[in-house]
Amino acid sequence: MNTPAAMTWQKNPELAWREIDDQTVIISPNDSVMHELNDTGSFLWKNIDGIKSVGELAELLVENYEVTPHVALSDTQALLEEMSSRKLVATVAETGVVLP
Amino acid sequence: MNAPLANPGRDFGQQFEFSIGCVPLCLEMSDLRLYGAALARYAAFTSAAEKPIHIALNNAAPPERALPDFAYEFEGAALRAFSSDIRFDGVRNQYALDSLVRVFLSWKLLEHQGFLLHAATVMQGEKAYIFTGRSGAGKSTVASLSPAGSVLTDEISLLRREEGGWRAYGTPFWGEFKAAGSNSSAPVAGIFRLLQATENRVELLRPMTILRTLLPNVLFFSADAEANRRLLEILSRAATEIKGYNLSFSKNAAFWEVLPA
Repeated sequence: MNTPAAMTWQKNPELAWREIDDQTVIISPNDSVMHELNDTGSFLWKNIDGIKSVGELAELLVENYEVTPHVALSDTQALLEEMSSRKLVATVAETGVVLP
Repeated sequence: MNAPLANPGRDFGQQFEFSIGCVPLCLEMSDLRLYGAALARYAAFTSAAEKPIHIALNNAAPPERALPDFAYEFEGAALRAFSSDIRFDGVRNQYALDSLVRVFLSWKLLEHQGFLLHAATVMQGEKAYIFTGRSGAGKSTVASLSPAGSVLTDEISLLRREEGGWRAYGTPFWGEFKAAGSNSSAPVAGIFRLLQATENRVELLRPMTILRTLLPNVLFFSADAEANRRLLEILSRAATEIKGYNLSFSKNAAFWEVLPA
C-alpha cells in the first residue's frame, strides 16, 4: 500500500535520535531498540516535520539527490511505510495534531 | 583513604558514605546487616564529600509527594528518585543494593556527561584502555592478562567527560574477578571492541561504528524520552571524541603490543 502523496507525517515524539557520519541513530526508549537510517533516510528524517507532505518530501529528494520524481516518490513512500511499521513516524491524521 | 563512616543518622541508625566516579553518595539505613554488606562491598570507595547524595534505604515512612523523576524496580526492590531525596525500598540483600546503586548511577551520570559501560578498564602508562564487548568477548581475559593493580574494573566501566576530555573511573562493579574494585581514574586512551581472533590486531573505527558498539553495552534503565536524548547526546560525543578500534584478540598478553600508545 502506497501512502498518498498528499499525506503528512511526523516523528514519534517519544524517540531519541542523533546524526553522526551522515547517518541517523534512533533509540526507542520504551523497548530499547536502536534503529539506523542511511544517508537518504537521514535526509528524509530531518525533513519530516508534520507539515511537509509526502509529495513535498519527494521533491526535496529530487532537489538534493540524482533521482527522478517517480523514483523519489516511490522511495519516500516506501521509507515512510517502513518507518511507520517500526513506530518511528505516524501520520498527522492518526495523531490528530502536529506534535512539537 | 578515609575510614568508612558510621554515624548516628537522623531517623536512621547508620550512614555510609562512598563515591563512585566522583558521584558522592550517602546510604542511610537502620539495618546493620545491610550496613555491613555496604561496608564490605564499597570499602575501597569510601569518601567524605561535603554534599553527598543522601539515599534513604528501607525507610518505612510513606512518601506523600509528586511522581518521582526516575523510578525503577528490580526483584521487589524499588528505586525512587525525587527532586528532594532518593529512596531505595524493599532491599533485602547486597545484590539488590548493588543493582539499585548501579541503576541510580546510570541515571545520575547524565548530569555529569557520563555513563556506565559493560567494559573492562585497564591502566597502562597513566592512560585508561577500555575493552568492551558482550559476555564472553574477553573482558575478564583482558583483565587477567594485565599487570596486577592496573585493572580498574573487569566488568562495568564508568566514563565521564571532564574539562574537555574523557576520563575512566574504577567501579566496585566487578565480574569474574569478584574483587573490591579500584577507586582511581585516568584519561581515556581509547575504546577497544573485542573480537575473538587467531592474531592480535587493531583497526581504527569511524564514530558511527563506535556509537554502534557503545549503545548495546551501555547500562541505562530509564524509558524517559528526554533522559534517552541526553544519553544519546553524551554517547555521540564520546564516539566522536574518543578513538575507537576493533581489537582482534587472540587471548594472550601480546595484545598490548598492538595497542596504540
